[in-house]
Amino acid sequence: MTTPLLTIRGLTRDFGGFRAVDGVDLDVAPGAIHSVIGPNGAGKSTLFSLITGERRPSAGSVHFAGHDLTGRAPHAVTRAGLAKAFQTTSIFPRLTVRESVCAALLARNRQSRLLRSRTGPAVRTEAETICASLGLADHIDLPGSVLSHGDQRALEVALALATAPRLLLLDEPTAGMSPFETRRVVDQITGLAKERGLTVLFSEHDLDTVFAISDEVTVMHQGRVLAHGPAAEVRADDEVMAVYLGSEPTP
Amino acid sequence: MNTFVTETVSILTNAAMLFVVAAGLTLVFGALRLINMAHGSIFMVGALAVASLASGLTGGWGFAVALLAAVGLCAALGAGIEVSILRRLHDREPLAQLLATFALVLVIADLAQRVWGTSDRTVATPVAGRFTVGGAVVPEYDLVVVGIAALVALGLWLLLTRTATGWRVRAAVEDPETLAVGGTNLPLLRTGVFALGAGLAGLAGAAIAPLESVGPGLDTQIIVAAFIVTVVGGLGSVAGAALGAVVIATVEGLGTLWVPSYASSAGYLVMILVLAVRPWGLFGTPDR
Amino acid sequence: MTVLEEKIPPATERTTPARPVRRIIPLIALAAVLALLAAAPYLVTVTTILSLEQVAAFAVFAVAANLLIGQAGLVSFGQGVFFGLGAYTVTLGWEHAGLSFWEGFALAPVLGAAAAALIGLVALRARTLYFALITLAFSQLFYQLVEQNTGFTGGANGVFAPVVPAWMLSPVDGYLTLLAIAVAALAVLRWLYKSNFGLLLRASRENRARVQALGTNVYRLYLLAFTVSGAFCSLAGAMFVVYNQGSNAELFDWTTSGQAVLMSVIGGMYTFAGPVVGAFVYQFGHDWLVRFVSDWQLVLGGVLLLVVLLRPDGLAGALRLSSLRNRTRGRR
Repeated sequence: MTTPLLTIRGLTRDFGGFRAVDGVDLDVAPGAIHSVIGPNGAGKSTLFSLITGERRPSAGSVHFAGHDLTGRAPHAVTRAGLAKAFQTTSIFPRLTVRESVCAALLARNRQSRLLRSRTGPAVRTEAETICASLGLADHIDLPGSVLSHGDQRALEVALALATAPRLLLLDEPTAGMSPFETRRVVDQITGLAKERGLTVLFSEHDLDTVFAISDEVTVMHQGRVLAHGPAAEVRADDEVMAVYLGSEPTP
Repeated sequence: MNTFVTETVSILTNAAMLFVVAAGLTLVFGALRLINMAHGSIFMVGALAVASLASGLTGGWGFAVALLAAVGLCAALGAGIEVSILRRLHDREPLAQLLATFALVLVIADLAQRVWGTSDRTVATPVAGRFTVGGAVVPEYDLVVVGIAALVALGLWLLLTRTATGWRVRAAVEDPETLAVGGTNLPLLRTGVFALGAGLAGLAGAAIAPLESVGPGLDTQIIVAAFIVTVVGGLGSVAGAALGAVVIATVEGLGTLWVPSYASSAGYLVMILVLAVRPWGLFGTPDR
Repeated sequence: MTVLEEKIPPATERTTPARPVRRIIPLIALAAVLALLAAAPYLVTVTTILSLEQVAAFAVFAVAANLLIGQAGLVSFGQGVFFGLGAYTVTLGWEHAGLSFWEGFALAPVLGAAAAALIGLVALRARTLYFALITLAFSQLFYQLVEQNTGFTGGANGVFAPVVPAWMLSPVDGYLTLLAIAVAALAVLRWLYKSNFGLLLRASRENRARVQALGTNVYRLYLLAFTVSGAFCSLAGAMFVVYNQGSNAELFDWTTSGQAVLMSVIGGMYTFAGPVVGAFVYQFGHDWLVRFVSDWQLVLGGVLLLVVLLRPDGLAGALRLSSLRNRTRGRR
């Protein structure tokens, strides 16, 4: 196996007496689509927030492409090339889609380049390309607050993509979506990963989606890693299925 | 020795007044997450109301009646403001409420001038007695002021920690959904807290009237003092307001003694220093 | 899907024909307003010219303050510190260091920027409401210091000195000079609003945590905004000396800072022109109203209340919205 892009060792986070993430080890290979699954409360969101620096880990380490990112601030993590699309949509309500993506493209720059009048044509073209690849071209001049839920999620991914990440973290990208919208987002994610050579780490609780697109799957339960391996192997694992079917009956 | 006693009494009296003003401000912030810039204006209304009532109601008991009337007037004013204006802004960003109360500062200032005129008034001390401690003469009214503050502190402590209403007040920000599901009338609770805060502002204004000349400008002067005390102590914390009041009164008292020309700046410096180290105040909690 | 496409034509088709018109109309309107302002000495009385002098200074003050209030979402009740600092740089520079008016005028924004950088370092550690209060405290601190240091600052009386060059003392010449300075300053500020910097400030106002997560150190971004705003507020204070013929401690008071907030909010804090409109409305509303009633603050407070309750985007926002509505109605 090639050197992993993201290496996590013994990552732990306590909230008071409650251990939300408990000694998680995880390797993400470059170019892979890697999913983290588990029932609600398994610690997926907390794990992601520890990777992005939104929360500090109580113990353990996060290494990404040769950098030690353990406990670093979110903007430092983003600069290292690791971007996250938020689970709860976190956009700019009063900015248009174009402005939002331009702002995201600029945010990765150093401040010395900010005092340039207006947004350069290169930035605007890049923003339009990103919006087009996520199906937002028709809404590019609308403020974020008036978009549909699905389009807001797409904008959310667009903002993360704008930081030119090597690894994209998606925290339940299809949460609250209709099957139709889910299909669209899943297709876009796989398309983008191929097109841009992105590594994708995403959490999800819809198993069909997971097994349809993932190369690798990690199963979390009560803060720990329960199983890990290629998608087909994990699917055949009885213990995993028991955890899943036991806690969350499939429709 | 007697300077020491005189100074201590004066600092204590000052701290007592600052606490009562700041307690109302911090209580409102704690339950409504809004900073009432018009708090000083309500304080001024309380002081002016006592000034006009006290000319008819003389003596200790007359003053007590005037004081209670002023508190009632201010509480009613507060309830009216909350119901007619602030309630409509509750779901908007906090700055909308800040701006609305700033507008009220301007409105109340002019209305007060219409009602009470532009000249300063003085109120005769209702308790004229004095007594001697350690060679220093202490006015009895100073003790009345400290007593009022002590009663307010005790009352708020009992209300917030020993009653179901107090628990609801504290939960109104943390967990409004649970409260609403549990049958609490949240809008009424918010109006009640705002009226209580306004009543405390009125009480402080009424109590201070015999000690200072009362007139236009008192509103912006006192609101800044109240801000300093609450911010130093931590917005939303009544214990913080008490600590902040003692700290600021002490700093200003000692400042007057040692560096008279900079005494009035000392309070601001303390606030800036505290916020530089703990941006959420001594007893406050960080925003996020 | 097809229904949707019929309803909303693709964005490019919709905006392309309208674009040249949309660009030219504001330019013509701007040219007309500027021509009118330049011709004002031939059109209106001396009293009005003096009011316009104040508007020139206050428009720069309000727009500079609104870089924080409307663009960055930082409500500062402390911009009076820099306004006062600018005015005192001119008057005290003359009195204590023998600086000419223009030397003091050039020094004012530099000192304003330096003071803002230092104050911002502390004040920006606080968020939202705490930030409003700590800036207010700085305002009062400066007010007290200026008022107490009678020997150096003239105390509560202020400094009134023949610092303004003699040729600028005629209202018309003074006004035209201030107008030219204001136009230049507003042009620079306009450019800042439209720059990448302005866009990131607006994004931070909308969602600070997100901008932080996208890779920008928002604290440093805000510090830069605070410094720039301080420089221009200070410039506005120096301009005010031409009208005021001096400086007084009141300029530092938080109510002066409050005036900038008022003008921004009433005029419309989400637009560039809003605070300029606010400065005009504030000054001429005041001049007109005080002829009839004494309760200027009452009316001002009432208007502010109405704006906050009914039109959070202010007068300029209301205008823009109604023109937008007319345009869509016309197309249908």
